[in-house]
Amino acid sequence: MRAVNLIPSEERRGASAGAGRSQGGAYGVLGLIAGLAVLALLFGIAHHQISSRRAQLASITAQTARAQQAASQLTPYTSFMALREQRRKAVAQLVESRFDWAHAFHELGRVLPLGASISSVDGTVASASGASAGASPAATSAAAPATSTTPAGIAVSSSTPPGSVPTFTIGGCAISQSEVALTLLRLRLIDGVSSVSLKSSTRALSSGAAKTNEGACGRDKPTFSAQITFDPLPSAGGASTSATATTTSTGAGQ
Amino acid sequence: MTTRDRLGLIAIATLALLAAGWMLVVSPARKEAASLATQVSTAEAQLASAQGSITSATQARARYASAYASVVRLGKAVPPDEEVPSLMYQIAQASGQKHVEFQSIVSGSAGSESSAPSSAPVAATPAGFTQMPFTFVFNGSFADLYHLFKSLDASAVRTSSGGLRVSGRLLTLQGVKLEHKASEGEGHAAEGNLTGTITATAYVLPADQGLAGGATPTSPAAPAATSASSGASGTGAPVATIGATR
Repeated sequence: MRAVNLIPSEERRGASAGAGRSQGGAYGVLGLIAGLAVLALLFGIAHHQISSRRAQLASITAQTARAQQAASQLTPYTSFMALREQRRKAVAQLVESRFDWAHAFHELGRVLPLGASISSVDGTVASASGASAGASPAATSAAAPATSTTPAGIAVSSSTPPGSVPTFTIGGCAISQSEVALTLLRLRLIDGVSSVSLKSSTRALSSGAAKTNEGACGRDKPTFSAQITFDPLPSAGGASTSATATTTSTGAGQ
Repeated sequence: MTTRDRLGLIAIATLALLAAGWMLVVSPARKEAASLATQVSTAEAQLASAQGSITSATQARARYASAYASVVRLGKAVPPDEEVPSLMYQIAQASGQKHVEFQSIVSGSAGSESSAPSSAPVAATPAGFTQMPFTFVFNGSFADLYHLFKSLDASAVRTSSGGLRVSGRLLTLQGVKLEHKASEGEGHAAEGNLTGTITATAYVLPADQGLAGGATPTSPAAPAATSASSGASGTGAPVATIGATR
């Protein structure tokens, strides 16, 4: 016996609910219309943005052109300010790279003991490239000057570039060899001194009653020579070696 | 074909149609809008930069007079020309004030006294200052020479605020030699008198820059020839005309 399905075909399982007589075509049309409406809305928004941004871009471009033109007319002023800044930095670097001779001589007079005197001082600033310490001024000035660069980029060649080592070669007299030793110790107290080395200390001898060679300092007084080496000159912007230089001089050593 | 299949096909066709509309119409428009937004941002940045340039340039124009005066003052420390007479005047004035006898000046490196005096600069760097070495000889006491050294250094100093105070020619002392001065006709040291031999270097601006790079007191525009007075700062230094050559 053959089974017969008595359920109406539109209500059977698997059939779309509400498909109706259009078999669902109405839903498709509605969905399409809705989708097209959304697309049209998005396109309209984008089109509006395009037009407004084009206008904005044109306006900004025109403003930029006017501003650049105005700025270009004022360029000489900015260039001049840059020139002034370069000059200022270059001069400042040269100023800072100097060795404070006045302070060094003041210190020399300050530390010298009473029993010693200075007859000659030969100070030089040897370049860091290797001029020998204690060289003569001629030898020092012949040394190739080092070149440094300011932050602004201008090359500045100082005759006493950073890293140069000032040295003093002093010659003098003392009342005894002990006083020479004291002098060497006191010379180490000079502000900025890195080392003090004795070159010679010779006492002129008298033989018997006859005065022979009294030497430059007198009979029985030793003549000494020493070399004072200072710390290397600081780089530009570094600490000044002698910012506290005083204005008094003892005049000692004469 | 069942109803279900038919609905599926309709849905797919609708989605395909909408996707095509999105890809062909809406998406390009949105991309163009986004591209324009980027261009607007870039243009706004350029505008801000240009406006910043105008602001800084306007400030530079407002400060031009003081900047020009500053450059002229710096020109006293490092002039565009050798300016040996003003250097000699400055040193003679300083030594006179400190009771030191200014005995001699030799242009060039120390040890070249035998050669004919030549004030030609001996060392230069491509973009830097030209060096002019000199050798000076002074006579005076230790204290007076000490004060002279201070005075020479004081022509250009850094201030405590980090500024630069220029009142004369910038000199870098390379070497100082102090010896007892021999008395005339006797040959032994005079009491208290020293001879100081100083090896120093003065500096000159590069030849292609001039004092102010062609600027005038009223305008930075470069004229054909410009001259400016270095005595503008009024420090009592000699009024030397510094020709700014281009």
